[in-house]
Amino acid sequence: MSASPEPTSSLRRARGPGRHAPTRDSVTTINTDGSRLFLYPADIRGRFTLARRLVAVLLIGIYLLLPWIPVRGYPAVFLDVAARRFHFFGFTLASQDAWLLFFGVSGLGFALFFVTALLGRIWCGWACPHTVFLDHVFRRIERWIEGDATARRTRAAAPLTTGKALRVVGKHGLYLLAALGITHLFLAYFVSIPALWLYMREEPAAHGGAFVFVFLAAGILYFNFAWFREQLCIVICPYGRLQSALSDDQTLSIGYDARRGEPRARVGTPDAGACVDCQRCVQVCPTGIDIRHGLQMECIGCAACIDACDEVMMRLKRPTGLIRYDSLAGLGGGRTRWLRSRTILYGVLLTIGAAVATFAFSTVKPAGFLVYRMTGAAYFVDGSTVRNQFLVRLVNKRTEKVAFTVVTETLPPGAHTTGFAHPVTLDSLAESVAPLVVSLDRRDYRGPFKFTVRVTDAGRTLVLAREVEFMGPDARLLEEEDHEKGIRR
Amino acid sequence: MKPDRDQPNSEPVIREHTFDGIREYDQRLPNWWLYTLYGSIALWFVLWFISVTVPVLPSDRVRVDAAMARVAAAKLAGSIDVTNDAKFWEMSRNPVFVDAGRQTFNSLCVACHLESLRGKSENPAAVGPDLTDTAWLHGGTPKEVYATASKGVLAKGMPAWEPVLGQRKTAEVVAYVLSHHQPGEPITVQPSN
Repeated sequence: MSASPEPTSSLRRARGPGRHAPTRDSVTTINTDGSRLFLYPADIRGRFTLARRLVAVLLIGIYLLLPWIPVRGYPAVFLDVAARRFHFFGFTLASQDAWLLFFGVSGLGFALFFVTALLGRIWCGWACPHTVFLDHVFRRIERWIEGDATARRTRAAAPLTTGKALRVVGKHGLYLLAALGITHLFLAYFVSIPALWLYMREEPAAHGGAFVFVFLAAGILYFNFAWFREQLCIVICPYGRLQSALSDDQTLSIGYDARRGEPRARVGTPDAGACVDCQRCVQVCPTGIDIRHGLQMECIGCAACIDACDEVMMRLKRPTGLIRYDSLAGLGGGRTRWLRSRTILYGVLLTIGAAVATFAFSTVKPAGFLVYRMTGAAYFVDGSTVRNQFLVRLVNKRTEKVAFTVVTETLPPGAHTTGFAHPVTLDSLAESVAPLVVSLDRRDYRGPFKFTVRVTDAGRTLVLAREVEFMGPDARLLEEEDHEKGIRR
Repeated sequence: MKPDRDQPNSEPVIREHTFDGIREYDQRLPNWWLYTLYGSIALWFVLWFISVTVPVLPSDRVRVDAAMARVAAAKLAGSIDVTNDAKFWEMSRNPVFVDAGRQTFNSLCVACHLESLRGKSENPAAVGPDLTDTAWLHGGTPKEVYATASKGVLAKGMPAWEPVLGQRKTAEVVAYVLSHHQPGEPITVQPSN
């Protein structure tokens, strides 16, 4: 691999023939006639490049491994849409728990607000799957097959030869393989690895929907990573477009220290700033901007320009950090205020959201249990008893068969319960509705009261209780009636 | 002086109007964006043409009507003539109906009528009356038994089960009850006690 910087004397050579330098007024990658300017970012090395690569390897490792690691009998993350069960690290949610999504999504939203206000586009450059796969899989394939930026640009302009055709076919073949790998992995999150392996061995028509999905998604990913690239971040990604509303002068971003760098001039010019106008920061930029114009919408915070500039500064024996992670306030000579109303507000919102979400998730029980009154009269009085009739609804949200025992508690003496003589055995996801009739000898009746219905499973790992009201007439009315009829109480 | 926008390297065009001192660029949209828009419009015409003008694909109305017809047919196929006594007797001799009815009975009706169906005759403390004897409170012909089970006797605590179980399951329960009886057996109706 060639480590030498590309030709640096002329931007025209760096950016290809007939191209102006990046400006703040236009998107570099969109020509004025609307056509696309395809970028050939130069190689970079340095501490941020290395750190980002390590983070990317770790993230790809996590993406790859999650469907393989079993936690309590299921993959660590398994979004089983077909059975409407969603497994997260041994925690299983059923479709009736979908309301928790609100807390999940809003919690992620608040977290992203908070992180963005503090650290800017740290997500985009370091953790976004688009960047992770593009920079650390697809651009690596490109670099391996087609060489460095100069070689790629030269070859792209050159006439088609057998060698060029072979490289193009090889590169795009590998792109397609990588895209197919990613979509298969993605599908595994929804159908699990054993089902995916089964789908792959059976003929496509047997699982037509999954087959079409995988190839369609692979096609979209291939297009995205082979050609579309930075256009996604610049034009499509909504998070990128929200940046200006979430960040301020105190937000960490990647910037150029103009006070130190200007006026730029060649090495040796008297009274010149630290910037030697070598264009390395422009050549390595994957979105085609000149970071020296300041913070720009296109910047995804990948830190490539920091490493590029630091390398030049070290060679010139000048202090590094002419381009660095800093806030606009810090770059202007001030101090970054980490604690400010925006970060405090977002932090408070995040804390409230996390607390509410924790509470909401703690209310999820592995069974649904409801006691409600049967249709008809609220209570029945006959010659000997006062009677209330209830329906008990049970839903087994566990993944295995469960025998539920339903018992009544805190009933007064003289009460008699029918229904639920035997445990109710329910298959996974099954539900049952069954009556529970509570009769009370009318001589023991002293007016309405509350009692408890409790459900337990065989292993007593689950206990759910509900308080239910036993309704009836005013006890004195019954007394009078009995007195008139001469019934001895 | 306006730059030529068809030259890829010219400066961006600035619109002539000014609002509140603000002027705006007239930048060209990316071609891929425009082609996506044009493609969507073209696709709309294609879909409209093949589904409305020349219905190669069935239109939404046709597809909804067909789906509704399938639902109606399934309902009709699963429905039971609940006024036909002979049909109920036939069901009560069919083990499939009787077994299905027993399962529903044993999860719901046992709370009052007991597993033996004998209710108060077996245990005076039971809530429901005996369903195995020939004395009935609300009529003993199959369609009358069905009416009692489906609409209930709310004043005495017998719930209306058809809204809960649906017609078929309610009919299965009636078939199970009738399996304890013989067609043509003498029926006595005792009005409510």
